[in-house]
Amino acid sequence: MRLWRRFKRNPEAPMLGAFVVLFFAFMLAPILIVVIVAFNDANFVAFPLRGYSLRWFYRIVEYRPFLDSFVVSLELAFASTLVACLLGVPASLALVRGRSRYANAIATFLLSPLAMPLIVLGLAFLFYLSALGLGVSFLSLLISHTVVGLPYIMRTVAGVYRGVSSDFEETASILGANRPQTFWYVTLPLIRPGIFAGALFSILISFDNLPISFFFGSAETNTLPVVMLSYIEHQFDPSIAALSAVQMLLAVFALLVVERIYGLKHMSAPT
Amino acid sequence: MTATVAAPAASAPARRRKAHSGALSIWWVLPAVLFLIVFYVFPIVQNGYRGFYPEFAGAGLEFNLRAYAKLLGDSFYLGVIVDTFWLSALVTLICLVLGYPVAYFLVRYSGRWSGVIIFLLIAPLLTSIIMRTYGWRVLLARRGLINNPLLDQLGLIDAPLRLVNTQGSAVVGLVHVLVPFMVLAVASVLQGIDTRLEESARILGANRWQTFLRVTLPLSLDGIGTGAIMVFMIANGSFVTLLLIGGDSFRTLPLLIYQQFNTTRDFGFAAAMGNLLLLSAVGCLYLQLRLIRRRGVKG
Repeated sequence: MRLWRRFKRNPEAPMLGAFVVLFFAFMLAPILIVVIVAFNDANFVAFPLRGYSLRWFYRIVEYRPFLDSFVVSLELAFASTLVACLLGVPASLALVRGRSRYANAIATFLLSPLAMPLIVLGLAFLFYLSALGLGVSFLSLLISHTVVGLPYIMRTVAGVYRGVSSDFEETASILGANRPQTFWYVTLPLIRPGIFAGALFSILISFDNLPISFFFGSAETNTLPVVMLSYIEHQFDPSIAALSAVQMLLAVFALLVVERIYGLKHMSAPT
Repeated sequence: MTATVAAPAASAPARRRKAHSGALSIWWVLPAVLFLIVFYVFPIVQNGYRGFYPEFAGAGLEFNLRAYAKLLGDSFYLGVIVDTFWLSALVTLICLVLGYPVAYFLVRYSGRWSGVIIFLLIAPLLTSIIMRTYGWRVLLARRGLINNPLLDQLGLIDAPLRLVNTQGSAVVGLVHVLVPFMVLAVASVLQGIDTRLEESARILGANRWQTFLRVTLPLSLDGIGTGAIMVFMIANGSFVTLLLIGGDSFRTLPLLIYQQFNTTRDFGFAAAMGNLLLLSAVGCLYLQLRLIRRRGVKG
């Protein structure tokens, strides 16, 4: 009865609801199918699946390039995020509170790497860093990933800091805290959710980066996506599915941890 | 008058604080700005040069327009440029048509489900681009989950449809990657619309459809604009999706740059194509800024 009354009030609601269900079926189908295929027993992907096994998960550990590149990707994601935080957190704090008329222009400049086509940046970075003598190296990867990660840190930190009243810092300084103390005991705890959300984004983006990383590919600097790309160009066995499923599990786990500790309200905050 | 009086009257801590923030801005912003100038602006400028000095690596270093003449004079490459922008525009339009109702539902009807919907929108962003394209390849394969039921259970077709490596699969893959951005952009603007405006329209005699077309839709144009520019911009530069499930169906600038790097190795020409893409990105960025500024003035 209540349902009927609601339907009479909003006849378009059920139609919209059905559309939304279909929409998410479209969004989730290709992801779910990969998870299912990961447990497939056969050497190839064919439906209906013949049997289930965990052999493709063993294959991840067996095939050296997967493991090696996973370590490279992990180091790269964390190192570039750390550098991006060291550069980006102070900058976004100053830009949010700064009254300079250049603040807006500088903020736009610092966020602009978000808008650039990554494949063009990758090619430009390769030539430039080679001219500097860095060439294909972990350091080159670190520099390029930092450029790309920086805007994500800045966006979330600025988003959180803008919502923080400056009263806290003023009170601290009136009560006698010096600047480092105010920063360490007042500002930093307040913006920590922004830093963590931004760092999570930056890590995920770095981990999934292919258009830049593949320009810097070598035995020592191949990242996981580069190895996966060259693997599926040659074979189509389900080990890529297993690897993807593990990767997604790690990402969801990281998201849940950050959400548990700091909340994710700020993650989708438009800035 | 008040200003001159106010300044000396400010308390000592207030003045000290002001001095603080002045010093703070420069030294806190400088490292990030310098880093981006050295490792982001310089590479792009160098890339700009390379387009005009196609034999950059070799001996003959002289300014010429050969790369651009090839890019803009040859009908094949003109077709590539048109294809790139046409594909992005098409993807943007589909994202809008699919995303708007979802954003509307999220803001107006989802209630306590809104958290779930936002999680489902963000969840695909947690999966690698390779995972998603792999999933589409499995679904669309010759004996995949779409062809098989059509062939065996329903018997609607005699031979498997060619679904992967077509223009359709390229568009589907790109829409799948980009539509969450559109939904989030439109939802954030819809959220800010005062529902009393819609109620007033209804009371004054407009029906639901008229209210939507005359009141809600115009008020959400900012969100549509922001989302559309963002989707168009990312679509322009995307190439992993096109490479893995688009095959050769669309030849776009990013794919050609990849090809130049891997096989042809004409780096001057690759740089020229890159510069064109950069130029379009800067154009989009400019439009986006104007939109934001306009909203700022209105709010």
